Amino acid sequence: MNQFAGIGFRKDFANEFLEKKLLHPSFIEVAPENWMGIGGYWKKIFKQVAEQYPVTLHGLSLSIGSDDELDWNFLHQLKSFIKEYNVQVYSEHLSFSKCDNAHLYDLLPVPFRKEAVKQIVRKTKQVQDFLEMPLVLEVVSYYTPIAAEMEEHEFINAIVDESGCQLLLDVNNVYVNGFNHKYNAYEFINKLRLDKVAYIHMAGHEQVSEDLIIDTHGQPIIDPVYDLFDYTVQQLPHTVPVLLERDFNIPEMEEMLFELNKLENICQKHWKHETINA
Amino acid sequence: MKQSTLDIAFDQEKKFAGYCRTGNFVRLKKTTPNRLPHYRKLVFNVIDDTLQTAYPLTFGLLTKPEWKELVNDFFGTHNCQSYQVWKMPYELYQYVLNNRLSIKQKYPQLLNLLLFEWMEIEVFMMEDIETPSFKTSGQLITDDLILNPEHFLLATEYPVHYKKAKEISAADKSIYYILIFREPQTGKVIFIELSVLFAWLTGQIKTTQKSVYQLSKEASKVFNIPQQQILENSQSFLNELYQQQFILGFK
Repeated sequence: MNQFAGIGFRKDFANEFLEKKLLHPSFIEVAPENWMGIGGYWKKIFKQVAEQYPVTLHGLSLSIGSDDELDWNFLHQLKSFIKEYNVQVYSEHLSFSKCDNAHLYDLLPVPFRKEAVKQIVRKTKQVQDFLEMPLVLEVVSYYTPIAAEMEEHEFINAIVDESGCQLLLDVNNVYVNGFNHKYNAYEFINKLRLDKVAYIHMAGHEQVSEDLIIDTHGQPIIDPVYDLFDYTVQQLPHTVPVLLERDFNIPEMEEMLFELNKLENICQKHWKHETINA
Repeated sequence: MKQSTLDIAFDQEKKFAGYCRTGNFVRLKKTTPNRLPHYRKLVFNVIDDTLQTAYPLTFGLLTKPEWKELVNDFFGTHNCQSYQVWKMPYELYQYVLNNRLSIKQKYPQLLNLLLFEWMEIEVFMMEDIETPSFKTSGQLITDDLILNPEHFLLATEYPVHYKKAKEISAADKSIYYILIFREPQTGKVIFIELSVLFAWLTGQIKTTQKSVYQLSKEASKVFNIPQQQILENSQSFLNELYQQQFILGFK
């Protein structure tokens, strides 16, 4: 069993998760929206898998960055789900996915502005108070800023400082953003509140033009992203769980295993005497 | 902080979201040139892919421009309420049901087809329903039956369950009853077409909890069929439902 590296639970590989022939992730991650309030075949499978691995949640619909109020019906169901599966980490995206009372089912960037910080802090505190656990917010990838009046890292740090939330540092997102917006990804990471990082995501991406990378989660992780990850691991003051994300172009199990092992090895290299701190 | 300053972030978000939903161009503040269309494409693809996966028969029935127009109008004008993307396709059915759309005139079977396709998802995914305790041996005709609670009885006007959608015409208009349920062990969704008599009988077993023998007397009056004939026909029907685990056992 890995000590640090986990993987997103996929229906395609459900049997592999149960039989443990190749994969030995330290935990699995799911989107709660895909597993809450269901029954039948997949509920049975999920229960079996959740008995074998710790489960982390990575939400899609909270829309912490929009003007819409929180969906309390969703949060009530989420709280029950967290309790049922003894979930220790609930993360979400520092973005918006619902606007004017309509779900968009994708993650849109929030304007880096003070009024957005204020609203996000208010909603984050509400979520944390209700769930009785810290919310872990992900630094998302984005392809254009909108109406920004502050730097991205200032925006993120203000939310972390004022809300008491934790950070999900998606190293690939930082790489993608650095490329798309022409900034140094290493310097960006140094500007974040690394003591607040509770979770790391790693994934692949696709360069679609000379100046644009799309965060597809559909390609293998490239070496410069591994390098940035290696650097990040060394900067963190504590260990955190690390997730391998792969959502499209699902490869053979061996390729997934190779990537998972590579992440675990990097963690082991720097954290070999540590235990996970999440 | 002035109200105007407060509003900028969310005003921009609303315009941005509107653009992603409709594709209608908007001017946003301080954006990188040529990047917004990526969001419209990404957002629309999620909706389109999810709906195509949920409604493969409907997707095959409509021409590509008709499908695109339907999805575009739905997403652009309907406020999707489900936080679970897998439930969003049901909102397309409701949208078609509740709006005057010319496509419903061209394809009178459209609503039935959408509902039929949705029901498979609904029954496959719906939360488990606790089954009352039951005995495994008994008489199908005379004992009170315990039905699989994870089921729906669907009535349609067109035979979307057995005929290719493109081959259905106005001449097929009638009433069809389809029993849809989830096999307890495998979770597989089973469809069984029912006659009007057996649809009535199934509904009555569920609501009155009377035995088939008791119900056959009333059925005889309702359908003007001799009771003995109903009982003879019911035996093989009940056997099939028992083997398929729609009838789970006996009270």
